[in-house]
Amino acid sequence: MPITPYTGPFGRPELQHLLRRSLFGCTTADRAHFEGMSLDQVVNELLTFTNDTTPPVRAYTDENGDPNGIDAAVPFGSTWVDTPITPLNDTDVIEVRIRSFAAWWMGLMRGQQRNLREKLTLFWHNHLPTQVSIVYQSEMQYRQNQLLRSGCKGNFKQLIHDVSVEPAMLFYLNGYLNVAAAPDENYARELFELFTLGQGSGYTEADVQAAARVLTGWTFMVENGGTPVLPQTLFFPPNHTASDKQFSAFFNNTVIQGQTGPDAGETELNALLDMILAVPECSRFICRELYRFFVHGEISAEAEAEVIGPLAQLFRENVDAPDQIAIVLRALLTSDHFFSNAIRGCMVKNPVDLVVGDLRLFDFPIPDPGLVEARYLVDLEHYWLTAYAGMNLMAPPNVAGWPAYYLYPSYDELWLDTATYPQRNNSLLAVVYGSVETPSNTVQPGSADLAFRVDIIAFVQQLSDPADPNALITDLVDLLYVNPISDAVKLQLKHFYLLFGQVSDIYWTEAYEAYIADPNTTNMTAQLVPDILRWLIGDMQKAAERHLY
Amino acid sequence: MNRRNFIRSAGTVTIGGMAVRGMGSPLLSALNNTIAEDRVLVIIQLFGGNDGLNTVIPTSAYSQLSSLRSQVLIPQNQVLPLSGLSGTGLHPSMTGMQTLWNEGKLAIVQGVSYPDPNFSHFRATDIYETGANSDQILYSGWVGRYLSNEYPNYPVGYPNTDVPDPLAIRVGGGVGGGLMNMGVNMGVSINNTNDPLNLTGNIYVDPATPDCKGDKLSAIRTIQRQTDLYGNVIEAAASSTCSHSPLYPTNSTEAIRLAQSLKIVSQLICGGLKTRIYWVSMSGFDTHASQVNPGDHTIGTHANLLKALSDNIRAFQHDLQLMGLEDRVMGMTFSEFGRRITSNASYGTDHGSAQPMFLFGSQVLPGMLGTNPVIPTNTTSATNLAMQYDFRSVYASVLRDWFCLPQSAIDSVLLETYQPLNVINSAGCLSTDIREANQQAGVELLSAYPNPFVERTTLEYTTLGGPTMLQVFNEQGQLVRMVMNKVMAAGTYKVDVDLGDMHTGVYYARLQNGTNQQVRNLLKVR
Repeated sequence: MPITPYTGPFGRPELQHLLRRSLFGCTTADRAHFEGMSLDQVVNELLTFTNDTTPPVRAYTDENGDPNGIDAAVPFGSTWVDTPITPLNDTDVIEVRIRSFAAWWMGLMRGQQRNLREKLTLFWHNHLPTQVSIVYQSEMQYRQNQLLRSGCKGNFKQLIHDVSVEPAMLFYLNGYLNVAAAPDENYARELFELFTLGQGSGYTEADVQAAARVLTGWTFMVENGGTPVLPQTLFFPPNHTASDKQFSAFFNNTVIQGQTGPDAGETELNALLDMILAVPECSRFICRELYRFFVHGEISAEAEAEVIGPLAQLFRENVDAPDQIAIVLRALLTSDHFFSNAIRGCMVKNPVDLVVGDLRLFDFPIPDPGLVEARYLVDLEHYWLTAYAGMNLMAPPNVAGWPAYYLYPSYDELWLDTATYPQRNNSLLAVVYGSVETPSNTVQPGSADLAFRVDIIAFVQQLSDPADPNALITDLVDLLYVNPISDAVKLQLKHFYLLFGQVSDIYWTEAYEAYIADPNTTNMTAQLVPDILRWLIGDMQKAAERHLY
Repeated sequence: MNRRNFIRSAGTVTIGGMAVRGMGSPLLSALNNTIAEDRVLVIIQLFGGNDGLNTVIPTSAYSQLSSLRSQVLIPQNQVLPLSGLSGTGLHPSMTGMQTLWNEGKLAIVQGVSYPDPNFSHFRATDIYETGANSDQILYSGWVGRYLSNEYPNYPVGYPNTDVPDPLAIRVGGGVGGGLMNMGVNMGVSINNTNDPLNLTGNIYVDPATPDCKGDKLSAIRTIQRQTDLYGNVIEAAASSTCSHSPLYPTNSTEAIRLAQSLKIVSQLICGGLKTRIYWVSMSGFDTHASQVNPGDHTIGTHANLLKALSDNIRAFQHDLQLMGLEDRVMGMTFSEFGRRITSNASYGTDHGSAQPMFLFGSQVLPGMLGTNPVIPTNTTSATNLAMQYDFRSVYASVLRDWFCLPQSAIDSVLLETYQPLNVINSAGCLSTDIREANQQAGVELLSAYPNPFVERTTLEYTTLGGPTMLQVFNEQGQLVRMVMNKVMAAGTYKVDVDLGDMHTGVYYARLQNGTNQQVRNLLKVR
């Protein structure tokens, strides 16, 4: 039984729902771009993309602002990703490159194209995570991140294959220490438990041990004859377990024939992944992961039967398709269930969605592309803001990713507690009120002494009729909340902020029009307009409703 | 103060050195909130799975350990001795906890685990936090159930004048499953007591819609309200004047992080919060590789972690002593599992099962409960340590002897009956102490004949009367036979056990009779 497609009306509420789950927030420009298209057209566009990113560049200096004081091997403004760090363990350079990578990633999300690429990259980062505190190697982390981005909508087996032997993962879960003489089960266990099958799905401890033996012999190189080189995966046949690997009845008593020679690792890894993918539980597991990220934390019995089952079937039917994940996601995002009231608006935003969504919604200004240094400083500030809100990219709490995507029964509500709630609130206020300023001693002259702050007037000018306080409040409510807001609350907002406590709408209209006609007006009331808008929107940011999407 | 709690904790209390028994004394009712109502449990969670064999080191089995775990072995002459206890010592970095032992403020419970242990970090953590059986998923934490049992109306109407403070506080990091009860978070969490936790002038009061997004909105609003309401009392407690011990360590990142958490705890207790449970944590115990420094096994990752833990517990205890709070506070450590007996080639250890737990404070009954772990002679890389005590028996002890719950309430928190252990001093609880178990330690309560055996063996056991349980585990720690579990009259009995359908190899027979328990190694051969 295939999944039931959505056939109801596809108006603004449905479009906003789809875009909020597929992009980081939904801006007025996003909405305008897609309005008038059919659901299928929108989802097709959301799934049409390539990894056309350009790598991060060196825009950092040492703490005194000296561009030659750190990582001088890379010319200022050129990328560092192809230059090995010499010496290998120069943590000062690793540190600045990791920051550069973090800022770059943030810039990709905030400046995202109107497609699923960055949201899917984050999904895979949560599903196949590594932690910066352990890997702490900028080139490895960059490469792994790009691997996730390039493979994010492709073939699942291919992605797992590539991640399994990527240096970042070989290091993170001890794959490089997994040798015939002394198997290290760490990666094999998480491959089953967290990446492909799920804890308790039926595999045995002996299966974990057998899989560890299949995976013996992989390692990576970061140095060649004492000279640092770019991270590179290697398979070392003498460290591979040559004997046959017997699996339990859960895997149909599969025996993976022991191999020797240079292709042994690749051959057995492929056999292992084929064996895993042949288990129906694998397809259900990964479909549940997609569901929890894009649709809803808890999976009801109904959703299990009507959504997960059919999606898993589709996943299995397309097991060799190069766009397997896109096929499954397309079916999910165009399904009747995805648009049902049972899940709409019923998810707590993860902190990255919360912050990046707001940076996009309010169009936080960014420096021109040529000003790499200013751009880096702004991006890095935004990265810190997401970390403060409770989700430090590259630093999930552990190999299971963030608990909001696996811990029953609270799931996404785990983003919120009495410690994180005030920090999330402050982040939302920082987007509206805060500014990022660059220092005066930048390397690039043009990057010095700049200040970037949301243009609140430009933001409200995109709305239908900002001079009308009723229309302004209604438009803002529509953009900011999914839960209904009563007329009584809207009235209170209007009186309290836009009308200065007065009753007549004309006070706002006159002040706003005077300000728009002349932003340097001497009209004292009109001069207040940008501040009033910040106070209003700042207050609207504090509502509990702001955390849902 | 509610009467139910008063009745529960009334029994024998000590006032000025004089025991006062009975209820109805006006003196008692004036003092009632210095009894169980005032007691604090500090839980220190060690994420990653702590290597118990390198923490509490069985030097009596040193020659076996030398061959089985040469990659991580601590030199015997470096093991810290525990006064009055031969054959067992502490990791060389644990001087702080050695001091506590010498001061009579440390109890060690050996071989803590549960039947059919799970080797996954996340599932095993969940089991310890919820108190679930291996094959059971619980939607509430054990502390969450305790607090819900104690404060059944929470969170409706909270805080109130009787209970103005958070019931539980998780310091650093989010609230985990341990404090949840049926989707309600029974605790609050704080990262920093200087955070302004304010929520004022909220005008978004539209009723939540009767659907999924309305339910979520209600949940968020609950946290929003807690944030505001408890912010005030937390701030007040944090800003009261309390001076701290100078002993808190500053020599490593992990030590400083734990010190900050524990200082917040002692500050809030000293500042007057009536919060019952504080939950703090350390991570990094998942030492598959580089657990020790290859050149010197007494230093390295695990040594740093144990030093941070041990120095901090010592400092925290000193802090409480200076503040005059020692008798009101006890602590407990746990990890999601111990580690494997054998080391691996990367100077580390893989996931194991049984682990030692520490209880500390002036009111614990000092000593070691249980025996050194049994190291089977034919240990392989798959062999795990046998369980001696169920972790829920430790929880039951805390509930009975620290929070003074009656057995029926303990059962409803832990969902089954687990025999409490005598590890905590509790006025009003008719308890024998660890010494009774120690006195029995040399007595053979359980034996097997024949052993080795082919199909059947006969277990002979002695019970002092009361609940008596006899189990057989395989070397993975899986329960393969519940031979019997019932209330018995004192005496010596025999029972025939047929393991004809089981594989050859190592098995453990385990007897538990109250605090007394013994484990015997069985070997099944062809």
